[in-house]
Amino acid sequence: MPQRVGLWQSLYQSLASLKLSVFIFLALAAASVLGTLLPQGITEHELHQNFSPTAVWWIEKLGLHDLYRTGWFRSLLLLLCLNLIVCTLERFPKTLTLLRYREDHIDPQKLLKFAHHKELTSRLPWDDIQERITRTVSKEFGPVRRFDAQGSYSAIAEKGRWSLLMVYVVHFSVLIVLSGALVGSIFGFKGFMNISEGQASDQVMLTEEDQTVHLPFQIRCDNFEASFYETGAPKEFRSDLTIIEGGKESLKRTIRVNDPLTYGGVTFYQSSYGSSVRRAEVEFRDLDSGKTYQLTLPYREPVEIPGTKDRVQAMQFQQNMAQFGPALGLVLFREGLEPSGSWILVDMPQFHGNRIQNYQIKVNAVEQSEYTGLQVKRDPGVWLVWLGFVAMLTGIGLTFYSSHRKLWIWSEPTPEGKSSGKVILAGRTNKNSLAFEQDFAQLCEQLHDELNPDKKRK
Amino acid sequence: MPDSSLLLSITTFAYLLCAIFYLSGVVFRVDRMLLAGTFTGLGTLALQTVGLLLRWKESYQLGYGHAPLSNLYESLVFAAWSIMLIYIILEFRSKQRVLGIFPSLFAFLAMSYASYSDQIDSKIQPLVPALKSNWLIAHVVTCFLGYAAFAISFGISIMYLIKKNQTSQATARGPAALLPDLKQLDAFNYQMIFFGFLWLSLGIITGSVWANSAWGTYWSWDPKETWSLITWLIYAALLHARTIKGWRGNRVAWLSVLGFGCVLFTYFGVNFLLSGLHSYAVK
Repeated sequence: MPQRVGLWQSLYQSLASLKLSVFIFLALAAASVLGTLLPQGITEHELHQNFSPTAVWWIEKLGLHDLYRTGWFRSLLLLLCLNLIVCTLERFPKTLTLLRYREDHIDPQKLLKFAHHKELTSRLPWDDIQERITRTVSKEFGPVRRFDAQGSYSAIAEKGRWSLLMVYVVHFSVLIVLSGALVGSIFGFKGFMNISEGQASDQVMLTEEDQTVHLPFQIRCDNFEASFYETGAPKEFRSDLTIIEGGKESLKRTIRVNDPLTYGGVTFYQSSYGSSVRRAEVEFRDLDSGKTYQLTLPYREPVEIPGTKDRVQAMQFQQNMAQFGPALGLVLFREGLEPSGSWILVDMPQFHGNRIQNYQIKVNAVEQSEYTGLQVKRDPGVWLVWLGFVAMLTGIGLTFYSSHRKLWIWSEPTPEGKSSGKVILAGRTNKNSLAFEQDFAQLCEQLHDELNPDKKRK
Repeated sequence: MPDSSLLLSITTFAYLLCAIFYLSGVVFRVDRMLLAGTFTGLGTLALQTVGLLLRWKESYQLGYGHAPLSNLYESLVFAAWSIMLIYIILEFRSKQRVLGIFPSLFAFLAMSYASYSDQIDSKIQPLVPALKSNWLIAHVVTCFLGYAAFAISFGISIMYLIKKNQTSQATARGPAALLPDLKQLDAFNYQMIFFGFLWLSLGIITGSVWANSAWGTYWSWDPKETWSLITWLIYAALLHARTIKGWRGNRVAWLSVLGFGCVLFTYFGVNFLLSGLHSYAVK
């Protein structure tokens, strides 16, 4: 099947190409731009409110409202990984060969073709010339490796060979970061929990799906406090938390924004706060019989009115309903009838609407409590991400501050005698050739002075 | 003892003077003007440093006690400072005073926008809970060193494109003749971009580590985050494109212009046009 092999090979070749890398970078950038133009996680209802049906169709088709989790965006990331892996497979062996390669021969004619090269002469004795070249180059550049042949002086000095490997460190670091993200998304979870003061809970509502996770321990909010600057700007949000495991208090800690608590691999972050109703004291007066009932209604739990088959439940609460002050939403369940409800205005007991069926209702007290909103997370992949970050910074930093520089030196005594000689120097670098040019020129000058002590340059 | 706002007002005008020196040095081809530009730039940078430190001290006297890096005003002042600091080092190393036109102009623009826009409050404000972290300094400083390097690279790219255009029209006379040759400009540009890329990477990473300790997620595709990633991707594309045959030079210069556009959008556009976690940076 030669054709198939050819197809695989050309696929492999295009995956190894730098142009593909540049294309993936630009494509990822363009896709990310799209994702910032449309608010992510927008609801279907909001979509239909803001866009025409055709636009909504396209947005949903391409997943633009949840772009970073769509298949095609993830495929782009996968393509980036493939590109990185194939490029590494393709180039790394060549780099290793290059690193292992030790030249043992210098052709002086080739040195003259280098972009950076210099010819020098000296009238010193041949032994002295050799000694001075080695000394100067070792001092100014780096260790010299000699492999003299046929009466000539041949040597190589090299610096920063390892910097050729840094690009692989950077590329590998990207793979580590992405694999960390993958591990986190498979084995971790992200969610939130709202805990009222004094209450304890072990239920975490997941952010990305409609699900609850049960923690192996309970977390209790002992106290929540918000403080503000004189300007009204928030100063600090703090929650005093207690971890309860196996019925025992095992840890007490205060968390703030930027100062989370980690317990059993799960981290709790201060993220929001609010207040909720705990119970309401309500008076029911039966207009038919004239009887009055005093009831305590726990929030969202039905309570039977004594001596009747009616049940009543506090369903909702508003701090300020239509400028009439706080209002409690009550629902009455009576056998054989649809449930009926009404908003009862707390501060206006005479309001004619404070009625359901045959009951006139008065709210005597609404007991509220503050709750703390915690962001909850378990992410076993985060260490891989950190490791990748460190590798990336090390790689990029060392690539910036180092370069591979190589120097070829060849010298030969002039035919007429052993009391003079000519020298050829050539140099090459993998980057920053302007700086290298300067350093190379300086080295040549130094060597010139060293080899011609009687006529130093001014 | 002068207060920080006086020093920073003087800084604004001194950078204008500095930009005028550099610009007229190039236009009228007077080396001394360029030299005056360098000295004005150096002096102003020193003055601004004192101003920034004073502002830091004043925030402690007000009882807030935080580094002057907490809102749009302070970040603009720091942006001007970073641009000039990196530029002065580049000039010292490259011995090319002509490159100073754009950095000094950017520094002046950043300072005057910070000082005179109605939308920007220059008062020292207390820190909101989300910003109370040691990561604040690390994150802002690294990001802005990156942005500053990209701003300088943008200037060099513009010079490259001007010079290239003139050379190809064979009219190598006029102010552009003073510019370093194309090979040098390309080399400076690469250096600045690589330097900026290193700091931007550090900036994104410190931001990510900070977000993880504040909100429990190192990456949430918040618009600011995403735009910094877009910027990073553009410059990553540029660094790779440079090694493709025939891409060096023109295309790299244009990519650098595009990259700087992304920097500006990440900095301003996201704050004003898109909503997200960085909302405190608006005023």
